[in-house]
Amino acid sequence: MNKLFRAMIPIVFAAATSLTAAETVVIVSQRNPVRRMLPLQAAQFFLGQSALLTAIDQAENSPIRADFYLKAADMDAGQIKAIWAKLVFTGKARPPKQYASSAEVKRAVAADPKAIGYIEKSDVDDTVKVILTLH
Amino acid sequence: MIDRALNLQNELSYNVDRRGQKMKKLAMILLAASCSAFAETSTDGIFVSGFGTIGAARSDTDKAQFVRSNQAEGVADTAKIGLDSNLGLQASYEFNDVVSVTTQVLTRKSTSPSYTTELTLAFVQVKIDDELNLRVGRMGLPTFLISDYQNVGYANTLMRPPIEMYSQTPMETANGVDFNYQHAFDSWNFTAQGLAGVSRGKLFLPRSGVTEDYRAPTVALALGAQVGSVTLRVSRVEAKLSSDDNVPINDIVTALNSSGFVQLGNDITLITGKKIAFTAVGLTGKWHNIVVQSEYGQRRNKDQSSVPDTDAWYAMVGYRLGNVLPYYSHADFKGAGSSITLSSNFPTSGALSSSVRGVLTSAAQSSDTLGVRWDFARSVALKVQIDRIKPTSKSGSLIYGPAAGLKDTVTVVGATLDFVF
Repeated sequence: MNKLFRAMIPIVFAAATSLTAAETVVIVSQRNPVRRMLPLQAAQFFLGQSALLTAIDQAENSPIRADFYLKAADMDAGQIKAIWAKLVFTGKARPPKQYASSAEVKRAVAADPKAIGYIEKSDVDDTVKVILTLH
Repeated sequence: MIDRALNLQNELSYNVDRRGQKMKKLAMILLAASCSAFAETSTDGIFVSGFGTIGAARSDTDKAQFVRSNQAEGVADTAKIGLDSNLGLQASYEFNDVVSVTTQVLTRKSTSPSYTTELTLAFVQVKIDDELNLRVGRMGLPTFLISDYQNVGYANTLMRPPIEMYSQTPMETANGVDFNYQHAFDSWNFTAQGLAGVSRGKLFLPRSGVTEDYRAPTVALALGAQVGSVTLRVSRVEAKLSSDDNVPINDIVTALNSSGFVQLGNDITLITGKKIAFTAVGLTGKWHNIVVQSEYGQRRNKDQSSVPDTDAWYAMVGYRLGNVLPYYSHADFKGAGSSITLSSNFPTSGALSSSVRGVLTSAAQSSDTLGVRWDFARSVALKVQIDRIKPTSKSGSLIYGPAAGLKDTVTVVGATLDFVF
């Protein structure tokens, strides 16, 4: 029994670690009818490819922003900036508005049925709806 | 960043005319007003942003000059900053969620040996719905894959737009109306841009060292399909190109008329507008760490015209290693015949014959490019690039070459700092 316990310790520990590690989730307003979305679909709104939903971005230096673009679009900050340079300087689109924290993103998304944002899973409450968890 | 941009602006504006000076002042005021990162400066609906390149380049020959498309001064065997350096400033104002206005000025060395400032964008945009925008004013022409952002070094992997493709047309902007339609379907995104307007500008004529003013009523259509970061795009531009002051062509037409070849003169002249079409298919994107960009494009006359038909293509492949992106590209352009067939009674030798045959023949070249882009800091990229240019007809894209045409391989090395703010 004791041996079994010892064997389980690392497994339990690993599980606990993965639970506490920050997970990024994509959110919309509770009033938005969308229920689920694929990572590439979510990325479209943040890369100027679709304006059907209004993207709400995190601060430029934030770790969650880097995590979101890496997992949703497989791109780093420089690549995202180059894409926006294309769109801005042809006059075709403007980058998403940025908010300083997950709390502000959540508030902006909750207030606008057309908004889409991303926050840490631990910051989710019932003012917003999770449509995608990024791994 | 702002300081550096202002310094560059000072440097670039050293030679510009008085209009340019005014533009510079305006630009500096706008710039000073913006103390935040790229395209995020928003005060009551005003957005100010900019892009630029500081670069130096040289070649290994003094027999000809290497230029970008439509440049009056290039580089030979001493390093110069004028080839690649430029500065663009853009301001937008959103009246509300539907109507906005955007202007952009670009300072660079183009058809004049000194820096000049041009108005590259000036339009009012009306958002019809989430998928459709209409614009009225001056817009970039979507002729080829990167045509409407070819001057934004930061937005491109290559240091310069491949001259083999991009020198097929001098037309960069048009005044008129356009629509931009965007439709997302599952993970796909489809775009359509249609434009009708008039393109005006200058074309540098290296053989005589003068510029012509051209005018071209133009229609354009570009269709794109995007999935993830891969974009496939087809485009077609048709223009009726005319120019009153193309001195070399006008001289030939005068000589033809006085020699009795009136019909040939009418075919060669550009004073009456000549229909010309550009068709291109391009692909850009990345797959894991592999970055690709490739394009095929052609220029075809729809009327009898002295402008030769041309075919061009290039293929670039890069491999991303974190912030560092080494790349290789091969490009090629060549003549695809002339819309004019010389009659059997036209002389086969003599001065008039050789100038007519010379005009109807396209330049041709291929090139190999090896370079690296390093995104070493936020909003700044350093590029180093080596080009090996092999001219095969009429000195290729090089200017001021020997009369018989340069056939030597020319090596060009360049380094640039591209930035956005």
